[in-house]
Amino acid sequence: MKFSVLCVRGHGARLGRLSSVGHQGSKMLDTPMCMLYTRGGSAPYLGLDMLRKMENIPPVAHIALSHLSDHYEAVQAFQEGVAKFTALKDHLVFTSLHDPAVEVHSGFNEKSGIAIWGKGGKTKIDVDLFIKMQEALLPDWYQALSDGDTSKDTSRKRAGKSVQRTLTFLDQIVERHSQSERLKNSALFGVIEGGYSEKDREHSAKETSARPVSGFIIEGFHNMGPKSEQFRISDVSAIIQKTLNCLPEDKPRLMHGVWPPDQVLEAVELGIDIFDSSYPYLVTERGAALTFSHQYSMNSVSDSEIGHTGFEMDLKDKRYFDDLTPISAHCTCYTCHKKFTRAYINHLLNTSEILAGVLLMIHNFHHYFQFFKSIHSALEENKFEELKEAIQQQKTSVISKDT
Amino acid sequence: MFELIKQVGEARVGRVVTNRGEILTPVFMPVGTRATVRGVHQHELMRMNSQVILSNTYHLYLKPGMVVLKNAGGLHKFMGWEKPILTDSGGFQAFSLAGLREISEQGINFKSHIDGSKHMFTPENVIDFQRVIGSDIVMPLDECPAYSESKNYIEKSTERTIRWAERSRVRFENTSPLYEKEQFLFAITQGGVHKDLRESCSKLLIEMNFDGYAIGGLAVGESEEVLYETLDFASSCLPKEKPRYLMGVGTPSNILNAIERGVDMFDCVIPTREGRNGRVYTKGGTLSIRSARYANDFSRLDEEIESSASHFSKAYIRHLLTINEMLGLMLCSIHNVVFFLWLAGTAREKILDGSFKFWKEEFLATYDKN
Repeated sequence: MKFSVLCVRGHGARLGRLSSVGHQGSKMLDTPMCMLYTRGGSAPYLGLDMLRKMENIPPVAHIALSHLSDHYEAVQAFQEGVAKFTALKDHLVFTSLHDPAVEVHSGFNEKSGIAIWGKGGKTKIDVDLFIKMQEALLPDWYQALSDGDTSKDTSRKRAGKSVQRTLTFLDQIVERHSQSERLKNSALFGVIEGGYSEKDREHSAKETSARPVSGFIIEGFHNMGPKSEQFRISDVSAIIQKTLNCLPEDKPRLMHGVWPPDQVLEAVELGIDIFDSSYPYLVTERGAALTFSHQYSMNSVSDSEIGHTGFEMDLKDKRYFDDLTPISAHCTCYTCHKKFTRAYINHLLNTSEILAGVLLMIHNFHHYFQFFKSIHSALEENKFEELKEAIQQQKTSVISKDT
Repeated sequence: MFELIKQVGEARVGRVVTNRGEILTPVFMPVGTRATVRGVHQHELMRMNSQVILSNTYHLYLKPGMVVLKNAGGLHKFMGWEKPILTDSGGFQAFSLAGLREISEQGINFKSHIDGSKHMFTPENVIDFQRVIGSDIVMPLDECPAYSESKNYIEKSTERTIRWAERSRVRFENTSPLYEKEQFLFAITQGGVHKDLRESCSKLLIEMNFDGYAIGGLAVGESEEVLYETLDFASSCLPKEKPRYLMGVGTPSNILNAIERGVDMFDCVIPTREGRNGRVYTKGGTLSIRSARYANDFSRLDEEIESSASHFSKAYIRHLLTINEMLGLMLCSIHNVVFFLWLAGTAREKILDGSFKFWKEEFLATYDKN
């Protein structure tokens, strides 16, 4: 995998290009980018035909080990890798440890291994099992085993431990990777840890970049899940800045999390290149549709509703009971294009019907992927500040209902 | 409205013609109770060439309600399905689901199972509701007695169904479609398992000249033997030139046996309800996909039947179900509906080429093997 920065805008936002990606070594990807969030290997609610009908689907599918921990033997028996097993063979696959949409229980990691949580409960993954799983899955990129169980209130000692453990895992994994026939075409990403401790972060960054990794994952600020939607990257921008200063320019940076649009832009501005798309999934699960406008040029048609603020529309709300308009008049996704109305989706949510999730997921993914397209063109046209301003204006206290 | 294309023994192939399209029979109608076929969205229904779907007046009346449906321009527009829809009157639901219901000559008084509010269904307003819904085929309010009821009770109940059918017909004739598409009215024949009641009920309803005739009050707990015997008789009472609809039936074996006895139309929640629970219907019988034996089974759900589930292996679908990912149960439901549509479609084919009986025996032999 090769990465080159085409240009830097403003404080640190990068337009980048990944090339020689994937097992065939033939794919090229533009950054900033997001990946296709999957649960167990499939985009939630979406079969292949529906997925193929959608525009701008990210070429990289993101699968969490936590969804496969109970079943990796099936993938192993299949022998041809997880992409084929899940029928995602048109996609590149990235495997992370955890699902960003699900909170990780704190306090279960040890020196010998990391706890991941699947449907059947806890599985402890040591380096051996980790390598076995990755050899079964055959990902194009994968996250090294890491201890990210830190957050704002973590002690310095614990933060230091997370860095130490992660580096130890990394060294063992680098060695096993170099010996592995199955993993020779997979790219390994090192993980920067250290909680909220600047010193530990810098140490982690310096040491990790000294290893032969293809990219970096920065984590350990929170424990994932819906609550992490409240995480404000501005709280740690100084730490992230210092961390990134220790990393080489020519390798991509990835951060997992539930990423609302304003947070995405702040992270892009700091210099993060790759994101996941768990946010549209969580929005779908709470019965809402993304409606934020990502137009940034002066005379473009604004898509924002009169009297509507925030990034989303809560379709469970009684006010949509007889609203016979589509979610958005300008949206070209299947749901809006086929004119499924707000009233219909409200009805489906009201009767707990699965179709609500299907229609909302299609729209929310579409909307989010179009947003990333806008980020890209805004950077190209050097209008990133305008995009930031446009998104900031739509922000209200967007708190999810379950906190 | 209906054209009989071919008959071999009692089995028939026909064509129901509506303003929204033709329906070749025998036909299986997926059930979309609340304006959605659960787990199978409209795009999938189009892909699998479903000719028609069913929805339910009782449920639609409660949610989203008649006002929204009227404003939306009818159910077809509201749910984005342009092909034919048949709506059940909701009598059965008002009778069985609702709290505290009272049947009188006027109609059914009931309390909503959702919030306890009080409502009344009469033969007249049920017709009005279906005008608002705009379904292509409308069913009248009927009384569906339990199998265990006495003959006396069933007789009285059947007589009431006939009086309600007459009132429904009058209301139907005195009202018009709201959305400029013609609607058709079927009658529901009752009489339990009593041949004399079935005969007299059918006779009276036939005189009122409905567009089609449903056979109600069966598959409510009687044995299969009794079901088929009654069915034989019940369908022989019905006119050849109108479609026959057996409500709420059934398993693949029920369907084929009913086709053999002259039934044209079927609806049943089996494919979707069981699909949600991981029960998959294949040519080799049913299988429970959650079973550990499929953990490493990389074959498709059914090698010969093509559906959106065909991209995936049993092992993968099992995996999705195990982690509670919606797509798992959607794929099972889609596959099952495709299977039932395939069953009816193949029956049509075999009746046309004269090999229905032979094919039915062969199919059931493989299907029942496990």
